[in-house]
Amino acid sequence: MNMSNPMIESTEIPEINYESVKRKQRIRTFAKGMLFLLPSLLLFGVFLFYPLFKTLYLSFFLTNARGETTVFVGLQNYLGMFASPIFHQSMKSTFLFVLYTVPTTIIIALFLAVLANEKLKGIGFFRTIFTSTMGISVAAASVFWLYLFHPSIGFINGILEMIGMESIGWLTDPKWALIAVAVTTIWMNLGFTFLVLLGGLQSIDSYLYESADIDGASYFYKLRRITIPMLSPTLFFVITVTIINAFQTFGQIDILTQGGPQNTTNLIVYSIYREAFTNYQFGTASAQAIVLFVIILIMTIIQFKLGERKVHYQ
Amino acid sequence: MTMPISKKILFYFLLSISALVVFAPALLAFVMSFMDNKDIMTGSLPQSLSFDNYIKAFEQFPLLKYLLNSFIVAIAITIGQLILSSLAAYAFVFLEFKGRDLLFFLFIATMMVPFEASIIPNFHIIRDLGWIDQYPGLTVPFFATAFGTFLLRQNFKQIPKELREASQIAGMGDFKFYLKVVLPVAKTSLVTLGAYGFLTSWNMYLWPLLSTTNDTVRTVQIGLKQLQTQEQLNDWGVIMSGAIIVIIPTMILLFLGQKQLQKGLTEGAIK
Amino acid sequence: MRKHFLTSFMMLLLVVFLAACSSNESSSGETEVEAESSDTKEKQVVTFWHSMGGAGQEALNSIVESFNSSQDEIQVNAEYQGEYDESLTKFNAVAGTDSAPSMIQTFEIGTKSMINSGQITPIQEFIDADGYDMSGLEENIVNYYSLDGTFYSMPFNSSTPVMYYNKEAFEAAGLDPEAPPATFEEIIEANKAIVESNPDMKGFALQAYGWLWEQLLANQGALLLNNDNGRTGTPTEIGWTEEEGKSIFNWVKQMVDDGTFANYGTNGDNMMAGFLAGDVAMFLQSSASSRDVIDNAPFEVGIAYLPHPEDKERQGVVIGGASLWMIDGKPEEEQKAAWEFMKYLQTPEVQAEWHVGTGYFAINPAAYEEQTVKDAYAEKPQLQVTVNQLQDTKASYATQGALMDMLPEGRKIMETALEKVYNGGEVDEAYNTAVEQFNAAIEQANAARGE
Repeated sequence: MNMSNPMIESTEIPEINYESVKRKQRIRTFAKGMLFLLPSLLLFGVFLFYPLFKTLYLSFFLTNARGETTVFVGLQNYLGMFASPIFHQSMKSTFLFVLYTVPTTIIIALFLAVLANEKLKGIGFFRTIFTSTMGISVAAASVFWLYLFHPSIGFINGILEMIGMESIGWLTDPKWALIAVAVTTIWMNLGFTFLVLLGGLQSIDSYLYESADIDGASYFYKLRRITIPMLSPTLFFVITVTIINAFQTFGQIDILTQGGPQNTTNLIVYSIYREAFTNYQFGTASAQAIVLFVIILIMTIIQFKLGERKVHYQ
Repeated sequence: MTMPISKKILFYFLLSISALVVFAPALLAFVMSFMDNKDIMTGSLPQSLSFDNYIKAFEQFPLLKYLLNSFIVAIAITIGQLILSSLAAYAFVFLEFKGRDLLFFLFIATMMVPFEASIIPNFHIIRDLGWIDQYPGLTVPFFATAFGTFLLRQNFKQIPKELREASQIAGMGDFKFYLKVVLPVAKTSLVTLGAYGFLTSWNMYLWPLLSTTNDTVRTVQIGLKQLQTQEQLNDWGVIMSGAIIVIIPTMILLFLGQKQLQKGLTEGAIK
Repeated sequence: MRKHFLTSFMMLLLVVFLAACSSNESSSGETEVEAESSDTKEKQVVTFWHSMGGAGQEALNSIVESFNSSQDEIQVNAEYQGEYDESLTKFNAVAGTDSAPSMIQTFEIGTKSMINSGQITPIQEFIDADGYDMSGLEENIVNYYSLDGTFYSMPFNSSTPVMYYNKEAFEAAGLDPEAPPATFEEIIEANKAIVESNPDMKGFALQAYGWLWEQLLANQGALLLNNDNGRTGTPTEIGWTEEEGKSIFNWVKQMVDDGTFANYGTNGDNMMAGFLAGDVAMFLQSSASSRDVIDNAPFEVGIAYLPHPEDKERQGVVIGGASLWMIDGKPEEEQKAAWEFMKYLQTPEVQAEWHVGTGYFAINPAAYEEQTVKDAYAEKPQLQVTVNQLQDTKASYATQGALMDMLPEGRKIMETALEKVYNGGEVDEAYNTAVEQFNAAIEQANAARGE
């Protein structure tokens, strides 16, 4: 950390052989870049890429309970998986879940952030409240919602009955379970999304708004023409991260529904966990993990290709 | 910069409603933590409120030790993440070298490896390193974070390139520029990332459970898990009180962090 | 401001290094303390991994404490490792290293994988060496855990399913609270009376839980797996007949159609809360919950035997719960010490405390003669029913229970099928899909073992 940088004094331009200096400099910047990245790359290599390759390797085998490979089956794990209706259901639920949670989380968080961005008395209190769900662990949050969703003594059905509506089997009805889990997830992610968006809003130069005010622009005009474009790097970040997180939802499923009813909430990471921890089928679990990895990778590449162009950097 | 009173009232109204909705689940849990299990299970209004659940939760396991462990682990991870990801983000924004974009994608790709899928190979690595029941086993695997790098990269990109050029002319090296200019300018994001890193590591459950076998370095989330049973009726009052104990430190941090955050924001470090 | 920020950043750096150092210190300090204590007292340390949370953990800790203070040669450290499957995953990874425990508690359906793992010492070796008499233990429990006359693990926390019912609701519906329904058909009739007398209350709840399904099957004398439930050979397919399997589905379907069935999905806690809040009059659940249910209900709770179809005779229940395993590759003294602790757990006094404290059965029937148990029965006569049901069980392959490493997966398959029927699905479709998947899972598990 404290080593002095050897490249510091070398920026003056010598007159001899411009080309070779340029090349040398390129090597230097590369070395420098590597130096900055080395700690991260090292840890990623050990704790992410190595396991990833191991996962890829395992996906071609059957395993025993200790996770040791027993029989080489080639692509059999993949073929079996793509033919399985349970896996189809799992993929469908995962995509629906992403669709339910991502836009809703961002819209609600943006709404809250715009509200909380006003300079009002006691706004710090509201900001703390809105951020608060970030501090609640998945385990604790799921337990809260488990109670809210309870079919008979739960708070939500209580309200429904009070206004004369039929109570709903939130976690037991296949039509509602995924929505219930989505609501829980939105609530849990709200705090963080809010915080990041608020940070983004606050870094927008107030000069822009002042000049718009002079022009007599309306509130929504300012929102559309100044706030959203200026917020785009932050929004881009939030969208990417929320999508990835939605694909990797696990804890709340484990506590709320355990993948049921009828596998409607058996999201892919939960399915991987079950295969590995309960069924000891590390081979099929690995195959599913690889498929998930590829899906998220493709989606993110698309997002970067499309999104990064539209994002406005200062 | 004053707004009309009617608009003010509208804002306060919206703020209050939203706050109530957002905070209701936690509030209910708070009330439940003082209730008797019989009242909770039968869904009746609380007949009596008491601290019994909290006393029980404290008696069940060495809670203070767990809390201390959680603090050590969460702070170590936070600091590790801040250092590693700010260094990496700096390289991605200010250094132009061959293969940079490819490496960045490689970083982003790591975010896509679901942790639950790689948890068993990772556990084997910890075992081989002899890090079971050790603080490094709980912390080091989380030091490198693509998420943090990504967050800081997005923020560093908003720092004008002219600033770097100016500093180069002034003969300032990269590391010095990183330390003296970039970090102070980006402190809002650093605080955000720090808060996020702290909270996520505080809330980790599956990994600390797997990588520890006894109480010496165990964290508080495992304690929360221990309050729940598999085959018997759960004592929800005690579980809720455990959940409240676990979230109190994070709430305090958020409250303080909020002030720090606002201070950083109002000083307008980012132009 | 910038300077201030920089210094605080440097401070943070310092803290990292301090934290890193102190972690090393504390871990080395730990070993010193351990070494010291073993030097002076020469206590043999036994590491015991368990999965008891909540009230069970309280009861277990107090037993361990009294064992440790009863003698000064052995120190048992009971350490919680998460749920059974989490604990097993961890064990599988550390088996054979220094981090492995001396003994571990594992659920009954993990029995086959433990034997297959090759990481355990069958306790039969200690029984033989010690001349320990296992015949004093509860017959039905012993039946489950012995294989070809060999004991692989020591039974510990055992429970069976029973039917809980709301006596007040029975009275209100004009039913006899002392004569609860015993067959599927009687339950259907009782349900109708209950719903008629109180439209806000449902008659019956069956948690979508594979364990309960297995029990309802065994109670008809049906096998879960072929080759005598896997006890005479490796199973190759399901062991029940279509008639036996479908009877449960048809029963549930009838209740769903009648509108007398309460659906709580896979969540047992929700179901119990519904029962305690008076939303459902009857439900099936582990006998280990009996104390809690009785204590928390604002009405009188009745406990009855598990129901069976009218045209089948009651066969009884399979033991559920967990047993204790001796880990292989540990020093002989350590294993011997762990064996001492296992024997201590079987004594009538300890079993009486355990039974009364948790609701799990006493492994050693002599415990039922202990005064603490008699007092508890005088206060809560329903508890006796759970023990009677176990002792009335007829010994057969069906009630001995199945042995196979894919059982957890099989449970999930049956749960999904049950949920389909709960939500209005057709019996034939749900049942056939489940059987197909169940057989495929057996095949897959056999293939994975490379046999």
